[in-house]
Amino acid sequence: MKTLKILTVVAVIALVGILASGILNVDSLNMENNEIESAINDSQNTDKAPIRKGYDIGDTATDFSLKNIDGRMVSLKNYEEAKGFIVIFTCNHCPYSVAYEDRIIALDKEFKSQGYPVIAINPNNPEAYPEDSYDNMKIRAKEKGFTFPYLFDAGQTIYPQYGATKTPHVFLLQKVDKNNIVKYIGAIDDNHKDATAIKNDYLRDAVTNLINGEEIKMTKTVAIGCSIKS
Amino acid sequence: MKNYLPLILLLIVASCSKPEPQKADVIGIEDIAYLTGDYPEKIQVINFWATWCKPCVDELPAFEKLKSTYGDKIEVILISLDDVENLESKVNPFLEKHNIQSQVKLLDYPYAAEYIPMVDPHWDGAIPVTLIKYKKEHKFFNQSFEFKELDFEVSTLLE
Repeated sequence: MKTLKILTVVAVIALVGILASGILNVDSLNMENNEIESAINDSQNTDKAPIRKGYDIGDTATDFSLKNIDGRMVSLKNYEEAKGFIVIFTCNHCPYSVAYEDRIIALDKEFKSQGYPVIAINPNNPEAYPEDSYDNMKIRAKEKGFTFPYLFDAGQTIYPQYGATKTPHVFLLQKVDKNNIVKYIGAIDDNHKDATAIKNDYLRDAVTNLINGEEIKMTKTVAIGCSIKS
Repeated sequence: MKNYLPLILLLIVASCSKPEPQKADVIGIEDIAYLTGDYPEKIQVINFWATWCKPCVDELPAFEKLKSTYGDKIEVILISLDDVENLESKVNPFLEKHNIQSQVKLLDYPYAAEYIPMVDPHWDGAIPVTLIKYKKEHKFFNQSFEFKELDFEVSTLLE
């Protein structure tokens, strides 16, 4: 009789346990479904990006008039002395962009005097990434001591023409007559984590080749980056 | 009868506990080479993502739903491109917080230009991207996914 009593108690506890866990699981399932629904709705609202084609090597890159962090508008045509431009689509929020900030400053210092200044452009919509707002751009540029213009692609009209898909994304331009010809598209180098362990210094090599009138060996390279969001 | 008591108690405990969230398994470029060069007999849905990538995080519920819908009929592999230094501080806590049930790997290899072309020649490095492999099928998607679209791709392959 004693064992029967114990068994009954155990059975009741088991039943309650199973029911409770069942209810809990149902709740968590419902929650997950809601999360999925909202995620789906979000992606429907924000991911209808137009099909981007962008530039290839040899194309003429468009000029622009974009607002710099100092409030002034910047266009490539203002740089009469320049031989070309290192246009880098970059931003605040992306860890890859942040990892390259010091290297971008170094590239600007090295090549500005040789006719190839860095022009940084933030292509992101601050509604998708609040960290990439114009005000936050000003803060970050001051913190890091950017030596180059950091422009805001308001309305996101320039990055799709270039075909930038991610940050950082480099377009190296050379001035030929009055046109800016695309000479290199891709990554800054091949190791975002450790600047001392780079195997291929793509961008520095490409700019050096242009300055020396040599052919660029690798004109297109790939690297991981943060998707640009419209 | 008393001998069954621990067993019954164990059953109660087991019935109350939820499945454990995954922890990320650190892999290298050789694992990517193996994974992308393989012709799997089971459908593999391989997603490249990172905790810092907002569109990637937004689409994770769709992959989780795919996993729970198809169970063992498919393999969902989430490959994180977070830096390995963030494994314990960001990645595993993220998996726990979101109760991720699909298998998760963290690729610890900084030279992305070496593994990107292994995955697909059309990939320029922006994430998220998804690769669906089944026998000789190789479908690469440079886009964000909704569950409906993933479900369509998988069910088409299963037919």
